[in-house]
Amino acid sequence: MSKELHSPTSSFAMEIASIPGGEDIRKCIQCGICSATCSVASVVDKYRPRKLIQKILIGERNEVLKDDLPWLCMMCRTCEDRCQEGASPVDIFHVVRQLAVKEGYIPDAFKQATKTVLLDGWMLEDAYSDFIEEDRENLNLDTNLEWNEEFTRRLMSKYFKGVI
Amino acid sequence: MKEYFYYPGCTSPVRLPQYEASTIAVLDKLGIKLSYLHNANCCGAQYVESLSPNAFVAMSGRILALAEKFEKDICVTCGACNHSLKHAKHELDNNKELRIEINSLLKEEDLEYTGAAKVVHLIQILRDDVGIEKIKDAVVRPFDPSLVLATHYGCHLTRPWELAQIDDPENPMIMDHMIEALGATVVQYPEKTRCCGGPLLAMDPEASNRIGLEKIENVRSVGGQGIVTACGFCDIQLAQVQFGGDLKSEDRIPVLQLPQLMGIAFGIDEETLGLDLNKISPEPIINALQEVKC
Repeated sequence: MSKELHSPTSSFAMEIASIPGGEDIRKCIQCGICSATCSVASVVDKYRPRKLIQKILIGERNEVLKDDLPWLCMMCRTCEDRCQEGASPVDIFHVVRQLAVKEGYIPDAFKQATKTVLLDGWMLEDAYSDFIEEDRENLNLDTNLEWNEEFTRRLMSKYFKGVI
Repeated sequence: MKEYFYYPGCTSPVRLPQYEASTIAVLDKLGIKLSYLHNANCCGAQYVESLSPNAFVAMSGRILALAEKFEKDICVTCGACNHSLKHAKHELDNNKELRIEINSLLKEEDLEYTGAAKVVHLIQILRDDVGIEKIKDAVVRPFDPSLVLATHYGCHLTRPWELAQIDDPENPMIMDHMIEALGATVVQYPEKTRCCGGPLLAMDPEASNRIGLEKIENVRSVGGQGIVTACGFCDIQLAQVQFGGDLKSEDRIPVLQLPQLMGIAFGIDEETLGLDLNKISPEPIINALQEVKC
């Protein structure tokens, strides 16, 4: 089934549409089922996926790229499943995040988590205490978790120079 | 005996080792052997995914290439790993340029991604390699039907369907049927397919907590006495949100991982399943077993 595509007029919307994943912006008819179905929107008043997409459509580039809002999406993909036009707000927000990264805007939480993963090879090295080691021993599980950080450090220098 | 590489991810080994132990014990009972994938790295989850899509694919690409080297498929038990690995496999199978880029990175370790290794979640092994009948046969002490449980699948276990291939994202029932095979009753509750709130923890802990608690209240509203999970991250979140607020300890609803629940009915001892490590005591569930028939 092919849906009718719309031609957004703002340059920001066209910029988003030209990046893989962002083309879905042309399917949005602003019906609002994404906001109605969103778990985050149900508890965070300022977060409404429909409004965020509307801001892209009308070209509020700076406002969108320099804000935490696109980073509040949990990527749960419920809205994507329920969108009658077959658009994926998740994919659109992924493109927005990539552009924001290029512009130097990354929320600290994302910066920190990514840094930890790339430097240690995994997320929870600091949390691996003697107590947990003992729990693992009692469960007959290996206590040497053997995470590899050489590869992730290589990725850090290849993909994240000047980013984090 | 069918054998898989077990990739437990980064969260369960530290925050929920009982999930790992019960998965190994239950699959062993059902004739599936798990061996560890040594020297692996984290999948990067939504953090790396948001900052660099190519680095994200590279991380899972390396895990897939490691499995290929030893000619085994990968078993995952976390929703985020399930998504990351399946997404990477899809990208690497369909994007030639990206595959060349990632393989040039892997070459240094004498690894190569060719697409030979499959990624399956524990639930898929239970459904496709084992099957409901064999699960039923392995039960030595069924739960009493008066035990009412609710399932929480986790977003990245079922969505997007094109990648996950596990169950209908809007009405997942696989795990429900497996639990019924153990004797317990499974209830449907409002917003069953909603997120646990975990992914929002870093950005807005308060909102994350409220989303999780909403889930707990929805389960309570239909009389659920326990929540069964199939993702370590969701499991931790749904137990955690029940502390720190106004909930009295007797009002907390126990949260168990599917293999822990299965293990109880299979007669596997409590220590092996690590039941004492659960934040909310699953005692009411353990006590809901039927009498052993001789």
